[in-house]
Amino acid sequence: MYDNKRNIKDTADDTKGEEVNQYVTFLVGDETYGVSVMKVQSLNEMIEITHVPKARAFIKGVINLRGSVIPVIDMRRKFSLPPKEYDSFTVILIVEVNERLVGMIVDAVSDVVNIPLSDIQSQINYSARVDTSSIEGIGRIGESLVVLLDVETFLAGDSLTEG
Amino acid sequence: MGEGGLTEVFLNECTEIIGNLESDLVTLEEKNDDQDIINRIFRYFHTLKGSSGIAGFTVIYEFTHNLESLFDKVRSGEILVNRDIIDILLDSIDYIKDELFSDSGSPESDTIRKDLTDRINVFLGTTDKKEEEPEDFLKAVGAYKSVGSNERYFKIAAVFKEDIFNNGIDPLMVIEDLSGLGKIISLTVDKKRIPDFEKLDPEKCYMSWDIVMKTRFDEMKLRDVFLFVYDDNEIDIENVTEKYNVSKETPYIAEKKLGEILVEKGIINNNELEDLVRMQNDKNFRLGDIIVQKGLASPKQVDEALSEQDKIKKKIEISTVRVDSTKLDNLMNLLGEIVIGQASLHRVADDIEEEKAFRLKNSLYSLDRVTREFQEQIMSIRMVPIGPTFEQFKRFVRDAAHNMGKEIKLHIEGADTELDKTVIEKIGDPLKHMIRNAIDHGIERSDERRKSGKPAHGTINLKAYHQEGNVYIDVIDDGKGFDLEKVKRKAVSLGMIQPEEEITREKLVTIVFSPGFSTAEQASDLSGRGVGMDVVKTNIEELRGSVEVKTKEGEGTLIRIKLPLTLAIIEGMLVRIGRSVLIIPLLSVIETIQVSRENYKTVEGKGEVILVRGDYISLIRLNELFGIEANFTNPWEALIVIVESDGERIGIMIDDLIGQQQIVIKSLDNFITTSRSISGASILGDGRVALIIDIHGMVEEIKNR
Repeated sequence: MYDNKRNIKDTADDTKGEEVNQYVTFLVGDETYGVSVMKVQSLNEMIEITHVPKARAFIKGVINLRGSVIPVIDMRRKFSLPPKEYDSFTVILIVEVNERLVGMIVDAVSDVVNIPLSDIQSQINYSARVDTSSIEGIGRIGESLVVLLDVETFLAGDSLTEG
Repeated sequence: MGEGGLTEVFLNECTEIIGNLESDLVTLEEKNDDQDIINRIFRYFHTLKGSSGIAGFTVIYEFTHNLESLFDKVRSGEILVNRDIIDILLDSIDYIKDELFSDSGSPESDTIRKDLTDRINVFLGTTDKKEEEPEDFLKAVGAYKSVGSNERYFKIAAVFKEDIFNNGIDPLMVIEDLSGLGKIISLTVDKKRIPDFEKLDPEKCYMSWDIVMKTRFDEMKLRDVFLFVYDDNEIDIENVTEKYNVSKETPYIAEKKLGEILVEKGIINNNELEDLVRMQNDKNFRLGDIIVQKGLASPKQVDEALSEQDKIKKKIEISTVRVDSTKLDNLMNLLGEIVIGQASLHRVADDIEEEKAFRLKNSLYSLDRVTREFQEQIMSIRMVPIGPTFEQFKRFVRDAAHNMGKEIKLHIEGADTELDKTVIEKIGDPLKHMIRNAIDHGIERSDERRKSGKPAHGTINLKAYHQEGNVYIDVIDDGKGFDLEKVKRKAVSLGMIQPEEEITREKLVTIVFSPGFSTAEQASDLSGRGVGMDVVKTNIEELRGSVEVKTKEGEGTLIRIKLPLTLAIIEGMLVRIGRSVLIIPLLSVIETIQVSRENYKTVEGKGEVILVRGDYISLIRLNELFGIEANFTNPWEALIVIVESDGERIGIMIDDLIGQQQIVIKSLDNFITTSRSISGASILGDGRVALIIDIHGMVEEIKNR
């Protein structure tokens, strides 16, 4: 799926020996994803979601987050995966996108990990059918790989306004 | 960083001043000898100049200096107010606005400025040029604040050294010198230092003087008088002009005691005051009485001082604090949280054992009362008078009317009617549109008006008032009214109605609010090309208001805007459909009924209707519109909420009524849904989110399906 050539940001090596980014990793379907810990506001357990008529397809509805009404996105719908019953592992990950909060319903949250920049591959040659604009890179944790999402582009702009 | 802040403050100040200037100048054109307005305008120019100097806008500074000089001549009566002057001044303001607020300094701005300066100089040049240097210089450096008149007041406290005579200086000479500079209003000699006769040294000066004088000169000039004694003696010169012009604007005055006022006026001096206060404390007398008794001041003087004290008090009462409006929003949000929290406590009370529940509920009810009052207070902070918004149209009407060759007066009523800040911010544009329409299409030319027996000048009335928990703004013109025949022809030609269609007057009038409608045969640069009234309508509906038009051919038009008092909290009716809770704004609700099977019908082309007191009204199945499941599918089993939108009644089918409560509106990001049926959301007592139904939007949405 991707080309394993190392193509690391120049800044990584010559400034500080080993720069590390922190990511919150979560599961959607079989895949592990990560979002920068800086973007994550909180993790919430599943609560009742209010359905909104005529909402965008991937918007599940709205929830009350400490007094604000914020939209939640069903990541399974967003990734065109078959729906799954919410269970005790289901979590709403609250991320901040362009100064507003958005909830992402994910199957489970795994961990907060430190990934050294050298283990993040930021330029990936995918096959054509994958939209890479919202992917920050692929991180390597030991043997497993994590798709690092750029929530700003993933949830903001076009992805939020298109149907 | 600091510089940025200063500029911002300056620009804010300018916006305010320019707005006031425009409105005042237009008023001045009508009442061209109103000294109050003239003085006010002069002060505005002066402040503008001073501030631009401080903020480093040298070009503006120099330019406004000219304006100030020009207006000074108006003030002194050398130049009479006429349209030319007002034109120059308004054009100049336009230039200043442009210079300050347009991002890209336009390349012509220099030419414009030169042009304006030339025009100003024509006025300045043709009149007698005898402006005095020192005064001009002073104004330029902004050395004194008050410019209510050229006269300044100074209070001079002179305490000379005892051995002053040894230096060959006689205080009397100094005072004589002073009197040559102006008029000495009061002179008090403090003789307290004079020792007993045995100890008196005739070669020593034991006296000190408190002098209040009126002069056209500045402080420097006064200091010059004391040139030789200034360093060694206690000479205190204070500009007290503002205290003497106290009825004008003196925002800096703090609360003052009667004694202090008298001292300031130079009627008594500090030492006397101290004695008096001591006496007052001993004998518990009123200070004023003691003063009069002691013959230190006449009763009249004391009375004057007392009335001055009152004025100062009043000023303090209306003193204001500028607060960042986001702080108010935060406060409002927090209050919203409290309201939500209370609602959830009420729910808890429902679940617990009766006796405790009773006590809890009682406490909650009193808490409710306090919160409601609290809310009203916060609301009142957010309330701003509509006056300034109205005022800004004076200039607009003047210019637009001149351009159209019409004579129009703008009459303002209810300027102190208060509206939510957000509403004020958003109401300006729609109002402008309506006024524009009235100028453009409504009011006829003078000759036309005379023929139909009306006064030559048209009048536009802007009127704001409160009624039944709403704010109304009326825009009334005494023009020719809507030509309904023309409206109809136009509507037919646009395919909005069928030629043979019988249509009521009311319906025809509302057609003007349809997108793309304009009857002006020739679109003027004023009222565009049919993108007017529909925008007005949408803007006002966004503020949860409505527009209504009444027109009488030949007599004029009234456009009435109805707005809610506040945007943040509404009374809502909670209803349940299936598992969903929805909120219907109580203002729209007329009644809740059950309908019998016989009174329910399906009408071809109109959908489902129910018979309510002899009228058939359409029925809306909210569950279908919102894609949710309802318990009841038969209207005769469900409850029907009758609501009203645009004078039309509609029945909404619901499963159950939950109750009525205060609803804190939370807006929904507009990317979430395209539905027009939802105006926002609110958080219920149990923490769930409920959507608020926008009745009007819902009706529109259904009609467009």
